Amino acid sequence: MSVNPPPLHIAACGALTAFGDESVTLAALLEGRRALARVPVLGRDGGDLVPLALCAGHGYDETVPPGWFVPLRALASRIPGEGWGSPRRPVFVTSSNFGVGSLHAFRRTGDTAHLDYGIPFRSVDWLAGQLGWGPNITVFSHACVSAHLGLLQASRTLAANLADEALVFTFDFLSPFVAGGFHALKILNADLPTPYQDRATGSIGLGDGAGFAMLTRDRGDFQLSAQSLHNEMHHFTANQADGRGFDACLAPLVAATTGRRFWLKGHGTGTLEAGRLESGVLARHFAGSPLVSWKGSLGHTLGSCGLVELAIATAAFRAGRAPGTVGSTGPTFTSDVALAPFDLGAFDSVLCTSNAFGGAHAAFLLSHD
Amino acid sequence: MADPLITKLKVLVVETLRLEDIVAADIPDDEPLIGGGLSLDSIDALELVVRLEKEFGIKISSSEESRTALASIGSLATYIRAHAAPNRLPA
Amino acid sequence: MIERWITALHTEDPGLEEPAATRDRFKERFPKNATRRMTQLGLLVGSTLEPLAPGENDTLVYASGYAETRAIEGYLDSFPGASPTLFQTSIHPSAVQQGLIARQQIVRQFFPLTGGAFLPAQALQVAFLADTPRTLLCGGEERGTWLLENQAASDRAFAFALALAASPENAIAHIRLDEHAPTDAVDPAAIRFALADFFDVLHTRRAFTGAISPAHRLTLTWL
Repeated sequence: MSVNPPPLHIAACGALTAFGDESVTLAALLEGRRALARVPVLGRDGGDLVPLALCAGHGYDETVPPGWFVPLRALASRIPGEGWGSPRRPVFVTSSNFGVGSLHAFRRTGDTAHLDYGIPFRSVDWLAGQLGWGPNITVFSHACVSAHLGLLQASRTLAANLADEALVFTFDFLSPFVAGGFHALKILNADLPTPYQDRATGSIGLGDGAGFAMLTRDRGDFQLSAQSLHNEMHHFTANQADGRGFDACLAPLVAATTGRRFWLKGHGTGTLEAGRLESGVLARHFAGSPLVSWKGSLGHTLGSCGLVELAIATAAFRAGRAPGTVGSTGPTFTSDVALAPFDLGAFDSVLCTSNAFGGAHAAFLLSHD
Repeated sequence: MADPLITKLKVLVVETLRLEDIVAADIPDDEPLIGGGLSLDSIDALELVVRLEKEFGIKISSSEESRTALASIGSLATYIRAHAAPNRLPA
Repeated sequence: MIERWITALHTEDPGLEEPAATRDRFKERFPKNATRRMTQLGLLVGSTLEPLAPGENDTLVYASGYAETRAIEGYLDSFPGASPTLFQTSIHPSAVQQGLIARQQIVRQFFPLTGGAFLPAQALQVAFLADTPRTLLCGGEERGTWLLENQAASDRAFAFALALAASPENAIAHIRLDEHAPTDAVDPAAIRFALADFFDVLHTRRAFTGAISPAHRLTLTWL
């Protein structure tokens, strides 16, 4: 079943990637540029080279205070309105890794000054203090579907009239802690990611990412018109081989897409089996809708990906053109994979999906009035 | 006489993955390491890879390569003999 | 005001028990071989959730402030040869996933939270806004070692899981969340109702009325 509150509006949104804000990121993606560059996985301790996309001003080895705060503060300065974190203006913070790079820095250096930034809720408390937010903050952390949970809970809170407006804020910045782990899982290696490309080996890239979305009941030209969740609980790093997990999340949204002309912003990290399953199920339900992933350029921005990619999608609608699946070439798993940019004049919606460890799936339909 | 590399690999599997109730010597050479009677999965395989890389100085670069190398104890021994320096192998 | 009824509750308070002892204690309650990779938090949360029989159409809300502390410690200690198992296990909400994956139990709606001083209030609000007939709310912490020495971990291990319903049938408690009146003078600094405090109220079956966040008052009445 889908988990739908009534449709809600997105009055404002924005993103930060290694390229910059969502407009700059869109332009780079339309040009087919990759933000990923090979970096030693252990930072100043060296190690294998792996493809990472780091925001300007964010050093990979963590500092005190964390280097990610400066670019994050610049993003947050774009959030309209005041009084965030007050009783009627809740904030939903979502992340997978928060400031965990600071824990690695503490373990490496013994400098206890890193610690407060490394514990997730403490990093959020610190961030809220820096940004002047009140205490009405709920923090979701569910790996790469985290942002979707924030959007859904914000929607429910508004629908229940427990808030006037709601802010969903997400951030996920890389560190040796994070990249070291994915490298140990053998999916972050020297190869650049090529989402949905049918090749012999799969690989991912990782990217810094942050974003925000301000939800209202009645303002804004984008609507979250349907949302869906599913958790396979089959295996930490694998999905049910028949794709039933993807199907269970997407099938409830089919009705919401009736009568709409929509494209697909997939999860597409560059891994083989999940990419094959995901694209296959999308093609089965939504044949003919062009499918893209931008993680071949931006890297996988982990907990922030749902919201980062939402903001880029809105920028694409405003520009009238969607980037293709940067970094990938044929053959692809399905014929719906769009490798090149395409015009959005005839489209009114985008179905956005994300997946996470543990077989977690999340999707929403974003419509442009 | 038992192959010393195979004997060592069986002990490494049991130790690294904390397999209780399993005697290393009882693991068949051709027992599938993943999805077989040992009930190991892909994460176990990766944990094993980290240990093997450290022990033998080899490098397994992708999940696909690890799946092939770890098909069984026997295939793992073949892989290590092909990729490790001779002085890293048990005598 | 939102109210619900607690229809089932299980708690675990292992004191200073070490993870190996917890694993030994719970070995028979999980599928064979599942516990060798489970953390103490996973074992505790899993053991409290299991009798509630989570189902696909439940909403599951999980709250932990420090989450997989030992796995984080072990993972960092494993560098430079980073352990994939410990990395995977350290990622929130691993503790719940460990048990449910062992049982291959699908859950459609799963909301893992983290937080500090007001985490129970936030988790309860998420649970109360769920749209399923039954919502399960679980949570817990495990004791750290070197992170605890640096005041960056819980000093207690505990876990709880409760079932919430909209009707009083078979209820063992009534739970209500009210917003503070606009005229209430609420000093956020004076309110502290963290996860351990919520656990203690549940574990001791103690009645409770009071502010649990700058926005919410909780009233818990045992029947």
